[in-house]
Amino acid sequence: MQLSAIHCERLGKRYGRLTALRDVSLDVQAGEIFGFLGLNGAGKTTTIRILLDLVRPTTGRAAVFGADCQTRSLDVRAKIGYLPGEPGFYGDMTGEATLDLLGRLGETPVDAAWRRSLCDRLELTPADLRRRIREYSTGMKRKLGIVSAFQADPPLLVLDEPTEGLDPLMQDVFYDLIAEMRRRGRTLFMSSHVLPEVERVCDRIGLLRAGELVLVAPVQDVRSLAGRRVRVSFHADVARPVFPADCEVIDVQPRLWDLRARGPIGPLVSLTAALPVADLDVQMPHLEEVLRKYYAGGASEKSEVRSQKSGGVR
Amino acid sequence: MMRSTFVLAAHSLKRVRVIVVAMAAVLVGFQFLLTQVAVVLDRNQAFGALSSIVPDFIREVAGPSMLAFMSFSGIVALGYFHPIVLASLLGLAIAIATEPAAEVESRFDDLTLTRPVRRAAIVSRTVIVLVVVEAGILALMALGTWTGLTCCTPATAQRPSAALLGSLALSLGAIVWCWGGLALAASTVVRRRAVASGSTGVVALAAFLLDYLGRMWDPVSRVSPLSPFHYFEPMTLITGAPLNGRHLAILFAIGAAGTAAAYIIFARRDL
Repeated sequence: MQLSAIHCERLGKRYGRLTALRDVSLDVQAGEIFGFLGLNGAGKTTTIRILLDLVRPTTGRAAVFGADCQTRSLDVRAKIGYLPGEPGFYGDMTGEATLDLLGRLGETPVDAAWRRSLCDRLELTPADLRRRIREYSTGMKRKLGIVSAFQADPPLLVLDEPTEGLDPLMQDVFYDLIAEMRRRGRTLFMSSHVLPEVERVCDRIGLLRAGELVLVAPVQDVRSLAGRRVRVSFHADVARPVFPADCEVIDVQPRLWDLRARGPIGPLVSLTAALPVADLDVQMPHLEEVLRKYYAGGASEKSEVRSQKSGGVR
Repeated sequence: MMRSTFVLAAHSLKRVRVIVVAMAAVLVGFQFLLTQVAVVLDRNQAFGALSSIVPDFIREVAGPSMLAFMSFSGIVALGYFHPIVLASLLGLAIAIATEPAAEVESRFDDLTLTRPVRRAAIVSRTVIVLVVVEAGILALMALGTWTGLTCCTPATAQRPSAALLGSLALSLGAIVWCWGGLALAASTVVRRRAVASGSTGVVALAAFLLDYLGRMWDPVSRVSPLSPFHYFEPMTLITGAPLNGRHLAILFAIGAAGTAAAYIIFARRDL
């Protein structure tokens, strides 16, 4: 059986009376790109810091490629490239000196050609790297952080808000880099608030809410929960029909149907076959439409979640 | 672990090199100039005159060290226990020893400790930097004194012996190591450098004043052994007394205990 890249087993963390994480169990498979979502304060960073042994769990355990994150922390950290949400670079150090220092702290030397390639792709020039970090823009610091995480070519990349501060062109460069990492068999565990980004690059997502993991599912499955928005407009007034069972009515007017189809839209199209249709607009679902409901919380969502959680790979 | 420790130590030494070199230059210059002050006083036969104008009650309170201080040796030795020199070296030690807290505060440790670096390497790095810097400065101070005595002091001057200067430097090094170890322990508990250095500084000030009062006032003298400064006795050395090995060991032990506590605390805490 293939080792999980990340295995969390009933992970819990309390800070005094505050429960930051509660009973989080999660598996991320090797080679997967996993999106780790949640509102501010949900526990994402705490989970990541437990994986990196910066924080010790109160209950449960976590492992990376089979190595316990606390008892075999050095082995674990040798396999991880980490991009913090706010990298604590020293402003008086140059970019190059920072990369050199972090590279020398690894177990194996950094491939200079690979690092150069990363810098070239992210448009960090040698002149930029010779400048002190206090002179860097937010985007440049983020790019430096990406290089520092990727330069050792680790099997697991843990990225916290990786594209924050990057312009759209650089974001595309980053996504290409992610795609290359996927081709090379690397595993990515990324925390992001940018749902379109998660939708674009991730295979599966996990969503934390108030320290609890309330959703783990493939992106496609989550998206399908939202259903497709279907707007049908007519040349003339039409009578309201009996809509298919999996069609949710948002609004119905004599010349406009505004619906949400959670299943195939074939029956709906058939319904309109004899009608004076002026236009048919189908909008693909987005993660955001489903996740907003999970972010907001509620008991009804949890029962739906449990069936989704069983879809998570263990 | 050793490789990453030395990588981090080299990095930290590089970051403090300017202040260390500047402080070393000032202190070396001070040691050298003190020898010349002693030469001038000796040439003018001022030591005898100085001691004769000191009132008897002050002589009584200060003890034999007062007379020993008013000598060529005493003036030269001043550089190893002058309050400003002591405060400077202690301040530098505290600044160096609180680097772990600074790294937590700045989140630099999110970059270093997410590499395969043991937490103990962070503490070891700080110990190495502390020892290298302080030993280096003390060695340079001794060089400044030796240069002044060798090149620019008349043969007739009553120079301090190498053993006395060595004892003074060792004693100064021990008190600096003591407070460096305590500052390191504080640094591994808190999340802000200012808290670690400030609290250590305040405790050091209180301890210094406790010892100071204890030397003059009997009720306080009973508790002044609680102050590490109680075991720092340069004035006793310049009277000709041998270096108190027990006192030296106590200072080194306090520093070692602080360092040991730092290893244990830093290994277990959340960052």
